[in-house]
Amino acid sequence: MTVLAALALLVSACGGGRDDDDASDKADKGGNGGAPASGPGFDGKTIKLGVITPTSGRVAVIGEPLTNGNKAYWDYVNKELKGVGGKYKVELVIEDSAYDAPTAVQKYNQIKGDVVMFNQLLGTPIVNALLEQLTADNIVAQPASLDSFWVREQNLLPLGAPYQIQAINGIDWWVTEGGGSEQKKICTLRQDDPYGEAGQAGVDFALDKLGMTLADEATFPVGNPDFTAQITQLQGKGCELVWLTSTPTDTGSALAKAAELGFAPQWMGQSPTWIGAFVDSPLMPYLQKNFIWVSEGPEYGDTSAPGMKELLRIQDTYAPDQVPDIYYNFGYLESKAVHQVLEAAVKNGDLSREGIVEAMNSIDEIDFGDVFGTYGWGKPDDRDPPRANSIFKPNPDKPIGLELVVAEHEAPFAKDFEFSSD
Amino acid sequence: MSTSRTMALSYLDEVKLLRSPRRDPWRWAALVAAVVLYLWIPTYFGDPGLRIMAMCGIFAIGAIGLNLLTGYTGQISLGHAFFVGVGAYTAAYFGGERGWPLPAYLALATLIGFTVGAVIGPFALRLRGNYLVVVTLGLVFLGEHLWNNWDSVTGGGNGISLSQAPMTLGPLDFKEGIELGGEAYTFEQSFFWLTWALVAVTALLAVNLTRSRPGRAMQAIRDRDLSAEVIGVNLARYKVGAFAWSSAYAALAGSLYGLLQQYVSPGEFSLFLAINYVAMIIIGGLGTIVGSILGAVFVWGGRSVIEQNSSIGLFDRLITNGVGEPGWFTIGEANAILFGLAIVLFLLFEPRGLAALWFRVKTWFLTWPFSY
Repeated sequence: MTVLAALALLVSACGGGRDDDDASDKADKGGNGGAPASGPGFDGKTIKLGVITPTSGRVAVIGEPLTNGNKAYWDYVNKELKGVGGKYKVELVIEDSAYDAPTAVQKYNQIKGDVVMFNQLLGTPIVNALLEQLTADNIVAQPASLDSFWVREQNLLPLGAPYQIQAINGIDWWVTEGGGSEQKKICTLRQDDPYGEAGQAGVDFALDKLGMTLADEATFPVGNPDFTAQITQLQGKGCELVWLTSTPTDTGSALAKAAELGFAPQWMGQSPTWIGAFVDSPLMPYLQKNFIWVSEGPEYGDTSAPGMKELLRIQDTYAPDQVPDIYYNFGYLESKAVHQVLEAAVKNGDLSREGIVEAMNSIDEIDFGDVFGTYGWGKPDDRDPPRANSIFKPNPDKPIGLELVVAEHEAPFAKDFEFSSD
Repeated sequence: MSTSRTMALSYLDEVKLLRSPRRDPWRWAALVAAVVLYLWIPTYFGDPGLRIMAMCGIFAIGAIGLNLLTGYTGQISLGHAFFVGVGAYTAAYFGGERGWPLPAYLALATLIGFTVGAVIGPFALRLRGNYLVVVTLGLVFLGEHLWNNWDSVTGGGNGISLSQAPMTLGPLDFKEGIELGGEAYTFEQSFFWLTWALVAVTALLAVNLTRSRPGRAMQAIRDRDLSAEVIGVNLARYKVGAFAWSSAYAALAGSLYGLLQQYVSPGEFSLFLAINYVAMIIIGGLGTIVGSILGAVFVWGGRSVIEQNSSIGLFDRLITNGVGEPGWFTIGEANAILFGLAIVLFLLFEPRGLAALWFRVKTWFLTWPFSY
């Protein structure tokens, strides 16, 4: 017992005195327009941004091109613009989440003291797991998913038209122009999770506005090994359009099963359903006949959009090994959005966490050079995501296997969709 | 070294956890070292490191539970992740949503885990080996469905937050960081102490369980359940009991996991987590309590050690960050490979796990200078 008591004394003598990392948070704010004071993630010269993304595991196929896009953009800023505000170089701190929430939370806590903000947090479950902490720490992060829940979050910097809007525009386009009609049977095949529910919510909204009803709804868990049950269910109901909310692996399995069972409705997929690798797959003829992809902006390589020209040039210069990829583009655009926030923060002379939030709220809109729609910005309640989407069809001769059908289709009722504030 | 020091002279001697320091120096040394580490670690390591170590402690509690079931009773289960989920969601609902006090929701989570385990347990009476594995595997998927769709309790696919869960125990507030003797500690420091105190309590309970009558019955069932029944072991009671206790441990681990993460969502209690637990007890040592703890620290802590040292020497050449850097695989992939390799190597060369290494070292010193 004496030993224990002595130990307790010893520990209390040297214990507790460990200085808190957060002390650095209280760094003096720079004056308006002056040089920003150093603080977490900023040493007076270099701005560090966090990236928590899967570089291992089954989602690494998305994480790696995304991060490559993040990085190429900053290489361009560092080299050609001499950094943010012409002075401050940007560096990425990349950590592997393995698409696993506990790992991501651990990594977040490891690097949060070393970064100004997060350039990328990949995955709805991971953003969900970190949202409370982001708010408590008042750190801004870019969520790499188009969930509509993000729109009103004080500490998130989303981009692009959310999944609901994609579904609304996609369904409206098909019914009014794309070969469908109000008498056709529309069904959904979706993941059994929030991403799937987002797509479903959009379809429900559009059908309600069009005065139609959903013919059938089939769900599946992520990584579903066999789609026989779902496909026969949809086939049995005689579905003529199936709205698909999935990720590439499940897209492949579902459509392969449909082809095998001779089920050939019109498929329409949300932006994360596609991957360039489909071009070389034996499924491609089926896709060309039956698949439509809904996303944003111009066709890949269409340089009439100023942002696309810049994107291609930067990719050629700073990521020459990167094959054309929709996820690379998304990563590139993420950095572009973060860049606009950082420029505003540097202009205000404040790169502290509060300074970033303030700078973000003061921006009126975030511009993507027409590669993605302009995002109306401001305080959380004023934010207004883009409401138009482009329709593509598979074409093996195109760089990412997709050919533009209609650019920027906006359903007349897309504006009516409300993004709740919780 | 005379034998009388280590020899038990009576039954009372046999069951004592600690004899005098002179007669049992090893246990005393280990105990003192553990207490020193317990008090010293949070004052030395930074918050991110403590978070990892707290997570190791949480896994240790769960692994002890699985070891009671698999290592001691021989009932192989892949359903452990389900029971961890039960605990996490119980804590999230009663702590986070209803605002129950810390001891109440921890106790309730443990109790619900115990009850659910007791309900599942009877399956083990009719099923053995591979068949039991399949049934318990089913639990994980059943659980995922439940977590995803029981929206009013689990928050559905969006998960549920524990940020409102009270974390005070008397004067100690673990959330804001405890204050002791005028010193304020951070959340991570406080949580480390909370978790590892619970590891100590649960480990002690498990040690006592395994070296008393139920423990001997469990081991008899593991070695051959038919013969155990013939010599009078009540199979129903002990198999169901093992399931119940194991699930209670898992649920406690789950509730602590929820508290540390502050958020739980359905994907976290997957087959992968279940396999991680099985790996922990294989690497740590089946049928040992200390092995469960060592295995948990090795599996969860080892990854972080490798990650933090990934820029050293040869390792740096092999590892890429996935973006532009040359290398063969990313750190996550390297970890997955090493982890798989560790399981294979342990099964081949040290089936009794890390715990056996410790026993061997101890025996070597105890019997020195003789090697037998």
